Amino acid sequence: MVCNILADFRLYLHLIAMQLRAQLQYKLNVLIDIVTYLSVTCLEFVPVLIFFGPFPSLLGWTVGEVAMLYAITSMSFGLAELFGAGIDAFDETIRRGEFDRVLLRPVGPFMQVVSSEFRLRRLGRITQGLLVFIFALSLLPGLNWTALKLAVLPIAIVSGALVFIAILLLGATLCFWTIQTTELTNILTYGGREMLSYPLTIYNQGLQRFFLFVVPLAFGTYIPICYLLGRPLPFGLPVEIAFAAPLVALAFALIAGATWRFGVRHYQSTGS
Amino acid sequence: MEAMIEAEGLSKTFRVARRRPGLLGGLRSVVDPQVRIVHAVRDLSLHIERGEMIGLVGPNGAGKSTTIKMLTGILVPTGGRVRVAGLDPMRQRRELASRIGVVFGQRSQLWWDLPLIDSLRLLRHLYRVPEKRHSDNLARLRNMLDLDEFLDTPVRQLSLGQRMRGDLAAALLHDPELLYLDEPTIGLDVVAKARIREFLLAINAGQGVTVLLTTHDMDDVETLCPRMLIIDHGRKLYDGGVTEIRERFGGERMLIAVLDPVEIAAIPHDAQDQPVLSDLPEGVHQVQAEAPRIWLAFSRDSLPVHELVAWLGARYRLRDVTFQEPEIEDVIRRIYEEGLLLGRDEVSVQVS
Repeated sequence: MVCNILADFRLYLHLIAMQLRAQLQYKLNVLIDIVTYLSVTCLEFVPVLIFFGPFPSLLGWTVGEVAMLYAITSMSFGLAELFGAGIDAFDETIRRGEFDRVLLRPVGPFMQVVSSEFRLRRLGRITQGLLVFIFALSLLPGLNWTALKLAVLPIAIVSGALVFIAILLLGATLCFWTIQTTELTNILTYGGREMLSYPLTIYNQGLQRFFLFVVPLAFGTYIPICYLLGRPLPFGLPVEIAFAAPLVALAFALIAGATWRFGVRHYQSTGS
Repeated sequence: MEAMIEAEGLSKTFRVARRRPGLLGGLRSVVDPQVRIVHAVRDLSLHIERGEMIGLVGPNGAGKSTTIKMLTGILVPTGGRVRVAGLDPMRQRRELASRIGVVFGQRSQLWWDLPLIDSLRLLRHLYRVPEKRHSDNLARLRNMLDLDEFLDTPVRQLSLGQRMRGDLAAALLHDPELLYLDEPTIGLDVVAKARIREFLLAINAGQGVTVLLTTHDMDDVETLCPRMLIIDHGRKLYDGGVTEIRERFGGERMLIAVLDPVEIAAIPHDAQDQPVLSDLPEGVHQVQAEAPRIWLAFSRDSLPVHELVAWLGARYRLRDVTFQEPEIEDVIRRIYEEGLLLGRDEVSVQVS
């Protein structure tokens, strides 16, 4: 079991290294891609700044605090885009009939799909996240950093990325039935990222519940950031729940994984 | 010895939802789908020994791909029993995958943007082949398929024939006992076809690899496979020797000669004002004419091709000569025409 996971991981590294080598054949191209993506994502941040021109705060959140939330959401989404590119492009794999080949190899289908693509250009968004993070820090000098507050940052980023990847996987699974579902997934990924870049409490209760208990994106970013900023959570949730974020994300990912396996079996009986 | 492939009563039905036309129809199809049942494969039984090289032929949509997909575990059969290399393809798909090789003529498994050698190296990790065995196999395949001249070329720049050679190497690096080939010579020129065939014969004879290939090209089957299976509409029509079927239904080859336009005017014409060649050699007859083209049908054994060409060349000024091999569709049509599928119980024609 452990041996298998290790072998799978090594294989993953080999496959990703291959992708990198292919992309780095055109180094200038990659560089331009990353810079372009960075510029686009930085432009996406501008409306936040514009909002805080006339209004000093958003439901009590200052510009620095929203920027912090925005930065962490960006980084986790950027990571998900980077590592989940193969899942994101799965509709293409299905349409081109390449999934048959996946089933003809002695390695698990998920593993092959995840490693089928790795887009260096996605580093642009992660860089934007880092820049916004530095910007947020400069506006929040009063944060009393503790070991736990430091720990909550990677927890937030990794859990958020995991939930985003799980959403991508759910979208990919739908492709077994509908061939093309990118739009539907985009509502949850791009839409979710956009919404979770702002304090959850600005939305109505239904949406809050949705992002807490149905698609737990809020566990990825909002809840850990509340812990960091010392803000109360909606529905009277204890703020320490931030440390349960990886578990919640993992549970959601496992559900997505089970759905995926169900989808693979469906494919094998219909071949469509 | 245990058989390589054993299938009994294999069948696969698909439920195909039919869309109604128009917007309202589209909506109705979502709520109340009109489902059509398609029998892709019906009651197919197969027995293939280790070391055999066997051709699976049939027209488009006959069920060839579906059959191969069920034999590899990609698709779960609706009914029947199947074992490949002693394994159950459905339950032991991944285990089976490391013991078989698959080549799709139209779809490469190589990484498009990378040099061929990178793909071949990466496959070692995908199939977990020990390093020593992999490098031995690679050396052997490089030599047999002459890969060295384009090993460092990105796959997208390879010619179709080179890519096919690369794909064959990729499918054989993990020493599969069984090789499935789906249209391995499609789109290739004569030289490339000959080369692929030669290679397949060599690995079948040398390494004892069992080969199952689907093709449209009767020449593939004739040069490679002692035995063939014909399927149509998901049913097995024929299972037996290739020579027998050629003799019984193989039909005639066609030679299309283009004559000199001036000369052809001098040849006697028939009622439809088309030229008629007289005193043709025995076994050759004119089928059609459309000046300056003339179609001549002749059976394989009546006289060798070069003699017919020489005969024509001695009498007429030949501008061009092309050949048409009997298509598999012709063979199948003849099987139907000759009424060999009489009773329901005699679905397949066995020639032993």
